[in-house]
Amino acid sequence: MNSLNDEPKVEAITVVLVEDDAPTLWRLQDALTKAGYQVRAAGTLTEARACLAQGAPRVLLTDLQLPDGHGVDLIRETRQRFPDTEIMVISILGDEESVISAITVGATGYLLKDAFPTDIAATVRDLVAGHSPISASIARFIVRRTQNTPEPPPGPVLNTAKLTPREIDILWGIAKGFSYAEIASHLGLSRQTVPGHIKNIYRKLEVHTRGEAVFEAVQQGLIKL
Amino acid sequence: MNDHDEDATAEQLPARERQRLQTSRLIQYLLLQALIVAACIFALRQSLPEPPAEYQVTAFRLTESGTERAVTLPYFSPLRHAMNDPPRFAGQFIRPPNDATRAWSVFLPRFTNGVEVTVNGVVILDSRRDPAANRPDRNTAQIAVIPASVLHDGANDVSIRLFIWGPISGFLDRIWVGPDELLRPSYNLRTLIFVTLPVVFSSWQAILAVILGIMWVMRRHEPAYGVLAAAMAVGVGQAFLQTPMGETPFSRLNVILISSAPIESGLVLTFALLFSGWKWQRYGWIIFIPGMLLALAGLFGNQATVRALFLYLAVPMVGVSLLIMAVVTAHSMLKRWNVASLLLGCAVTIMLTCWVVDLLSVFQMMPNRIFTARLSYSVMLVAIGAGLTWRFARALNQVDGFAGRLVTQVREAEEKLKASFVREEERARAAALARERTRLMRDLHDGLGGQLVSIVALSERGNGSAGIGDAARAALKDLRLVIDSMDDIGGDLMLALGSWRERAMAQLRPHDIALDWRAVTAQGLPVHPELRPWHVIQIVRLLDEAVTNAAKHANARRITVRIETLAGADGLDRGCITVEDDGKGFEIAADGAAAGAIKAARGLRNMRSRAARCGAELELNSCAQGTDQGTRVRLTLPHRFPDSDGAAG
Repeated sequence: MNSLNDEPKVEAITVVLVEDDAPTLWRLQDALTKAGYQVRAAGTLTEARACLAQGAPRVLLTDLQLPDGHGVDLIRETRQRFPDTEIMVISILGDEESVISAITVGATGYLLKDAFPTDIAATVRDLVAGHSPISASIARFIVRRTQNTPEPPPGPVLNTAKLTPREIDILWGIAKGFSYAEIASHLGLSRQTVPGHIKNIYRKLEVHTRGEAVFEAVQQGLIKL
Repeated sequence: MNDHDEDATAEQLPARERQRLQTSRLIQYLLLQALIVAACIFALRQSLPEPPAEYQVTAFRLTESGTERAVTLPYFSPLRHAMNDPPRFAGQFIRPPNDATRAWSVFLPRFTNGVEVTVNGVVILDSRRDPAANRPDRNTAQIAVIPASVLHDGANDVSIRLFIWGPISGFLDRIWVGPDELLRPSYNLRTLIFVTLPVVFSSWQAILAVILGIMWVMRRHEPAYGVLAAAMAVGVGQAFLQTPMGETPFSRLNVILISSAPIESGLVLTFALLFSGWKWQRYGWIIFIPGMLLALAGLFGNQATVRALFLYLAVPMVGVSLLIMAVVTAHSMLKRWNVASLLLGCAVTIMLTCWVVDLLSVFQMMPNRIFTARLSYSVMLVAIGAGLTWRFARALNQVDGFAGRLVTQVREAEEKLKASFVREEERARAAALARERTRLMRDLHDGLGGQLVSIVALSERGNGSAGIGDAARAALKDLRLVIDSMDDIGGDLMLALGSWRERAMAQLRPHDIALDWRAVTAQGLPVHPELRPWHVIQIVRLLDEAVTNAAKHANARRITVRIETLAGADGLDRGCITVEDDGKGFEIAADGAAAGAIKAARGLRNMRSRAARCGAELELNSCAQGTDQGTRVRLTLPHRFPDSDGAAG
């Protein structure tokens, strides 16, 4: 969430916006349209699938609780059909329960529904620019999972086994509220490499296939054969 | 061995019924003992198989104290104290001429105490050279082959000198002179019964002594075992020592050991008393007086004295002990009605019978002189062995039963414990849930409640849409704070501050206020394992208040948050969070409250109360003019957060 207060660059960037609460949808749509994005809005999962059928969007913003299904399914489908589409969850509270399950199917971070319009536009712009925003609370959730606990912690299943010690250090820094620059200087990195690490973290947390999910569950001892 | 397991059936019955039961038991027991006595007498009356009567020699001429007369064997000779000039029996036997090819022997089935046999003037046997034969209580038989050169066809002379040294009178049973092959089976049988068998029983006694000794060492609280072990040991010593014939210092000790029968019987009596539940009393040593006297006599007197005393001390002592034991075991049998008492009682009856018969034999009231008391002691040994085994097996069964009962009880207790544990756990969980609900309600009431009320108020006024937005946004922010604080952060406050930084930046961005975040020490803040969600909420709300004041009332352009760990004077590290702005500041009144707006004053009061709840120190500095213009809120965290929400109740 390191937004730069630059002037929004207007490009023909397509955004598919899925949100079932009409006022919230209008609000988000306004903010994005004003920033120059081409927005295709959908209120249900079915409508969202119809939007996606028109072609690959650059960005997919979706709520999770939809009247006819769950946003996680939509994210998984989109991830498989359009690997280049950036996906972000729209959340009321940014609570880890829902956001982490979305991250494991391919989402990158979340957008709060009550964010200021400028912040909404800036977040999407950063996303398109290749940055992967990660909030302190999500980072905190991930690093808490990397710590060994006697019994599996509550909440969604998350495999952190692939994360390198450096990536975990970066997550600790984010969780404690440090900026990318501060983290880079603490860890002796270049400031520019931090976003790349974060992108890698997102990719590593993704569970790609059912088979892989089972394999990882076995690896973590969640399933006993 | 004094187990006090009184017969349960007898205990439960009323007095009358119990008496009837006791009487019937006594009659049964006495009948059985009478049967045993009858069987014993019958068995003792049976004479041992004898060689053919044609070889028996009974007619002798006895030369004693210079006089000579004709006697017929068996012959009892009066007690003599001098070893010289023993009575001499002279007789004759005929060897048929056709029998020259067979070896002939002289067989003496029983004599007390020693014999010297001469055939045709040649000495062929002196029993004094056989130590086993010197024990009058052993019933040792003797046989001697007559050298062929000494014998001749027709009449042969045989003479026997009978040595008598007490303590009992002399005795010579009928003798046989005939072919060795016809006499020897009878001799072998007697040797088997009166020599070999006692050795076997003495070995058994030695084993019992060891077993009982071990038992006593392992179970010191049961002295009966130790007493019985001592009795067994004394018995073994007695059986394997020989009668001393000469006077040496060693022979005195020997005499004491051989004449230890009263000590042995005293020990066995003590065992029987202890076994039947009697507690050792000081007067108990009376039991050992005869034995001690005899031992002293053996140590200081001569052998003759000991022998004389033996007859007057040891024999009655054995009899008295047996009588007492018979009574005690009968009583014990009535009380407990168990196998061990029954075995002991029967053994005592057999021994007592044998002892009476022996006594009659000593006083020459029996036609023969075969002592059986010592041999019947082996019945006692068998009874003790059987009783011990029975007790051992019963103890094992009890242990099994006890173990089984214990397993059941442990299982029951475990189940109860498990149930109560589950109940306790549920209660604890319910209590924790209730506490958490209370806290959550208060937190939501403090934050969200107030904000929702102000949203309602604003919407009713109908003009302040911007105000409604702010209030709703604040409500959402607070909701996120409450949810965030529920998360387990493992005592690291920095993790909570990380989220707070994001929210504060989002809040300040529209106001164009920069948030300067400075973690002065690399670690940030110390980790507090005792940190609870409600501490986090209080601290974050306090910081929110400081930032909101700076943004809304101070017109600040930059807010600096400094996070550091201070080493206190007491050596304990304390976290310190400072929120500083470059706004216009305000005057702080003497009571610490802001002199300015009422709203700001209430904000400051809230901050103080929140800091107090967490045990933190709050320091406020505000300056309205100069280069130091601005407000500084400095929160020093406690070394240890309080467990209970003391200040708020």
